[in-house]
Amino acid sequence: MVDDDPEMRALLLDVLRNEGYEVVEAKDGTEAVLALRARTFDVILMDKNMPGPSGLDLLPGLRRVCPHSQIIMMTAFGDVASYMEAAEKGAVEYLFKPFRMEEMKAAIAKALGSSAESPA
Amino acid sequence: MRNLTTRLVILLMLALMIITGIYDYVRLGRERERLVEQTREDERIFAETLALAVSRNVRWGRTTAELKELLDDILARPGLVAVAIYAPDGQVVAETVSPGAAAPTLDDIVRDALASKEAVSALVSAESGRLLRYVQPFRWPGRQTGAIEVRQTLAGMEREFRRAVRENVLSRLVVLALFVLSVVALTRWSIARPIRALMAGAQAVGRGDLAQRIEVARRDEIGQLAEEFNRMATNLQMAHDELLHQAEERLRLEQEVHQAQKLVAVGMLAAEVAHEIGTPLNIISGRAEVLERVVPREHPERRHLDVILKQTERISGIIRALLDYTRPRRPSLRAEAIVPIVGRVADLLLERSRRRGVRLELDLPIGLPRVLADPDQLQQLFLNLLLNALDASPPGERVRVTTGPDPLLPAEGRAGIIRGKVEGPCLPIHVVDAGKGLTAEELDHVFEPFFSTKGRGQGTGLGLPIVEEIARAHRGEVEMLSIPGRGTEVIVRLPLAGSGPPDPGGRTRDSAAEAGAHGD
Repeated sequence: MVDDDPEMRALLLDVLRNEGYEVVEAKDGTEAVLALRARTFDVILMDKNMPGPSGLDLLPGLRRVCPHSQIIMMTAFGDVASYMEAAEKGAVEYLFKPFRMEEMKAAIAKALGSSAESPA
Repeated sequence: MRNLTTRLVILLMLALMIITGIYDYVRLGRERERLVEQTREDERIFAETLALAVSRNVRWGRTTAELKELLDDILARPGLVAVAIYAPDGQVVAETVSPGAAAPTLDDIVRDALASKEAVSALVSAESGRLLRYVQPFRWPGRQTGAIEVRQTLAGMEREFRRAVRENVLSRLVVLALFVLSVVALTRWSIARPIRALMAGAQAVGRGDLAQRIEVARRDEIGQLAEEFNRMATNLQMAHDELLHQAEERLRLEQEVHQAQKLVAVGMLAAEVAHEIGTPLNIISGRAEVLERVVPREHPERRHLDVILKQTERISGIIRALLDYTRPRRPSLRAEAIVPIVGRVADLLLERSRRRGVRLELDLPIGLPRVLADPDQLQQLFLNLLLNALDASPPGERVRVTTGPDPLLPAEGRAGIIRGKVEGPCLPIHVVDAGKGLTAEELDHVFEPFFSTKGRGQGTGLGLPIVEEIARAHRGEVEMLSIPGRGTEVIVRLPLAGSGPPDPGGRTRDSAAEAGAHGD
């Protein structure tokens, strides 16, 4: 889970761990890449707007490094242009902030489902 | 006007008086001469006859007394003043003189006649007026020449002549007066009246009443002048209308550019705000959701949580509407029936209207012509309008959705504002509420973003701007009419399918048929 806002990370960590997921957090692109080198992830939940390389900039690299990870992007609502770009670059889901926790859970469940179905 | 007529008449009169005066003067002078000549001729014949008679009597040796008697009889002839018989030596042999006249004596005229033996005639002035003298020589016994003189007064003739002159002058004056009257009447009728009409027309045009025309049913110069005037007024009016149209068009374009600029600025700001606010808002709502799961529904303090959730939802709503409003709208237009669109919106609002105790009435006939529409956007448009109408209505009232060419609100006391511009045939949809209405002042601002007459925190202030945006994107217009204390009416006019520019989808044919079928 990649987001530059510590409070946002704390919230997502609380909610996702409560759901029983194993979550690793990263505050920017660099930390995210380091974490990805250490292990593989089923789902990458990533904010679009971060200092340094943005979520969209990181997307193609992530797709290459870990092609089996399902990537979910988060961004401010109304940002239709980046939604289109993210979809092109291989994000499977898109969450517009502020989103309901239920929405996020559903998106993750869906991503996991498609990851399970996809031939590994 | 009167001056012109009067001057004209006076000039004509003077000219006529001078011409007829000269003519009469010459004519009467000739007449007088002719009369004198005639009298002279009469006198000549009379004197010759008398001379013949006297000559015979003298030769028969009549006495002076007998001759005088003869002359006295003759004096009864009218106009005759005196008759005298002269002997060859010039001595008056006999004479008769009317009372008051001078007695004839030998003078140059008589001497002349006796010497030349020729008749002499002369016109002399006397106290009693002019006298015509005629001296006729005749044979006196003894181969001598005597003469007889007849004196006739011209007073009678003069009197007659003066009377004739008087009558002449009088008749001239009568003719002149009649002439003047007819000229005055004629100028009034054919000059003064039409000129007055022309002047009234020119004054009206001068005041700015360019629709003024002059009625003319004549082919003369004044008729042509009036026609020329009317042509001028028509041209002026056309030029004026054209200018007005251009000014309006320019104003409209400026407003549109202004509106677009404002939209871009608001849009950028909104995107920025949305970005910055999204995450903190998400943290608040997320935390609240976490709590929501653990705090039981019946917990006494649970309501605080609900408020937090609801209010974050509201902030999201405002920003979403803002982004919605500023997002460039490129509707995909196609021929659509309006009733299902409005119907879907009404279904959506049924619960809300029931809760508010307001009746929602859809009064749209079957077979309305199709409009060029993007159904999603129109749904948004009617949603915003119906929400406003429902929120404005007090319980027990109703909100009506209907169609028709004329507003339902009476014209009296009604203020209005119109946005966008529809061209060609259109379908008007009215949304009418019986709320407290808006003042003209408020109406001026209703289409501005963030203007709201609802209570603080109730509306986003973006409902009507979005309505305007959508109407404009449909090449339609939206008119808002209101009477304070009575209610508000919004009329959305959308161009009919088949009346706009050609539809690349090739759907115009059947939609036109639809519109035609409705026309029947």
